[in-house]
Amino acid sequence: MNQQNIKWSYMDHWRSNGPSGPVDQWHSHKTMSAFLKQIKATGFDAIDTFDFRIWQMYGDYGGPAKYQEMVQDNGLERIVNTFHAADYDVRNYAPHIPATHEYILEDFRVTMGRWSEIQLDNIIVMPATLYYDMEPVTEDKLKYTAECWNKVGEITAGFGVKLTCHHEFFCGIQSEADIETFYSYTDPQYVSLFVDTAQHCIAGVDPVALYNRHAHRVSGFHFKDTRNVATGDDHRHRPDSEIMAPTTGKWFYEMGTDQGLVDFAAMMTAVRDNGYRGWISVEHDKANKEGGDYSESTAISRWYAKNVLEEIYR
Amino acid sequence: MRDTLRWAYALNQWNVRLDVFVRHEDQQRALKTVSACGFDTIELASGTGRWDNISRPEVILLNHGSHAGFLDFLRRASVQGVSSMFWDPQAPAEEEEGYAFRSTANPADADAIVEWSKPFVDFVAGVGAEQLVVRPVGSAWMTPPLDGDGIKRIGDVWNRIGELTSASGVGLALHYDCLGAVHTAEELTALLDATDPASVGLALDTAEFTVGGIDPVTYYREHADRVTHIHLKDTRYADTGDEYRMPGAESTMLKGGAGRRIERWFYELGTEGGLVDVRAFVAALREHEYSGWVVVESDHGGNPAELAMLNSWYLQHELGIPKS
Repeated sequence: MNQQNIKWSYMDHWRSNGPSGPVDQWHSHKTMSAFLKQIKATGFDAIDTFDFRIWQMYGDYGGPAKYQEMVQDNGLERIVNTFHAADYDVRNYAPHIPATHEYILEDFRVTMGRWSEIQLDNIIVMPATLYYDMEPVTEDKLKYTAECWNKVGEITAGFGVKLTCHHEFFCGIQSEADIETFYSYTDPQYVSLFVDTAQHCIAGVDPVALYNRHAHRVSGFHFKDTRNVATGDDHRHRPDSEIMAPTTGKWFYEMGTDQGLVDFAAMMTAVRDNGYRGWISVEHDKANKEGGDYSESTAISRWYAKNVLEEIYR
Repeated sequence: MRDTLRWAYALNQWNVRLDVFVRHEDQQRALKTVSACGFDTIELASGTGRWDNISRPEVILLNHGSHAGFLDFLRRASVQGVSSMFWDPQAPAEEEEGYAFRSTANPADADAIVEWSKPFVDFVAGVGAEQLVVRPVGSAWMTPPLDGDGIKRIGDVWNRIGELTSASGVGLALHYDCLGAVHTAEELTALLDATDPASVGLALDTAEFTVGGIDPVTYYREHADRVTHIHLKDTRYADTGDEYRMPGAESTMLKGGAGRRIERWFYELGTEGGLVDVRAFVAALREHEYSGWVVVESDHGGNPAELAMLNSWYLQHELGIPKS
């Protein structure tokens, strides 16, 4: 990595205003180009994306490899990670229900084939259904879930891609105790941890301590901030507590926000002290809520990475 | 941006009305955005009244205590300094100047305008900026036709202010704009001829020139010795129908209220259909070893952060200028 221990990737949440109103970057080649240029201009070197975008990659660009060429034409190195945002359903797609496992495994066999024309580092999953579909969270359910991801991880490893778990505050495995039990049943060879600093804070879990405990199997990060911890039933709202929790209209903020709960200096120190080398992904999903702006949040987060975090470790 | 040219970014686009760019944290966000885009120096635009606390010298000083205090404020966002400040004496100032409408074309206003310039001259010098960038004359639709004597009278006002700036160790740059009563290349050259080259220079704005029908590359090559300041931005349109003469051209022309109803005139570098040959213009600056500031400006074109980022991308990837 040319003396650089850390490079910065951008998780591709985005909105902008065009002549036809608010759009995301996948609206047109023009909006995609503008998005990629803005990411690169501020100092990011790669992007992460979502699995469900693969249809637009095929339809609008000719597939992941062709889309990645466009990413590279705008100065970025590549696509580092994809987020497999599965639409969990207890009828046929729920890791804590063994009867659905074969369906999940087949999904990953197909999915990894689609992505195989480019080289990803990670495929990221929320490892459990939504909380209200898994509760009560029992040891057996955690064990079944771990068994599922061990098998999925074996499939993704066959494609040279790590299966890594990202614990949303509203998913079935979000408490410190359940996270620890889950990892005790998973195989470090096949199941990694992807630390989202804000999601863990919202769930009342210290992301720095969590990272330090599992550093040997952490394969990436979402660095973003929050100002709120979930309370009461915040984690139990359909269809998605990030949107529907009644206590908080906007959960996520860019790094460096006032009143942010994430101790990024401690986090970056831990990243350094654990000898992590590779990509850190920056995210601030739903940055446009309550008057926010994706372009500005992206520039400010990269400013923070350069002026604060890279002073600790780069 | 680190280069043989010196690059700065104009903050004017963030300040779209008096009460939206006042909180210091909002200003810090803009400064951090500019910094993340690779610019460590900014241009300020003048304003009026207590809300313009990053635009009106007296108010800036009230907010930050001193010039050094203001520079400390900028440095919190890793912005190191100020290249320049824009001032239009024709724009009525509220508390400070009693809401008076004055014009450099009116000899009776000359003394007042020279007096009004002093806080700006002092501030530019105080923060270590290099240029006071000024609108030399009001809009054409508000100004009687200018003959040679009229242009000379305007030049005289700026020569007097040029003496003040020179005495303070800063430059004075006349900024041509597409609505101004000095409109053609001949009129602009006459104005330059009416001013003292030792103290008064030209601020060449690539988009304003193009909209106004003057080719910025050609004009720069012919007058490189007088050009002391640059505003770099693009446009997709030229004012081919003399829309600048329409009453209320600030609105009727520039905001699309009449004429061809073009709502947006100014664009980021690299825009599709841009009329400014940015590459050729920057090459001309290098050929002439231009030593002043090149201020990239998105003006009033769209989302300020987005345009700053797109401008940065263009400089880095189309012109090959390293960020740092």
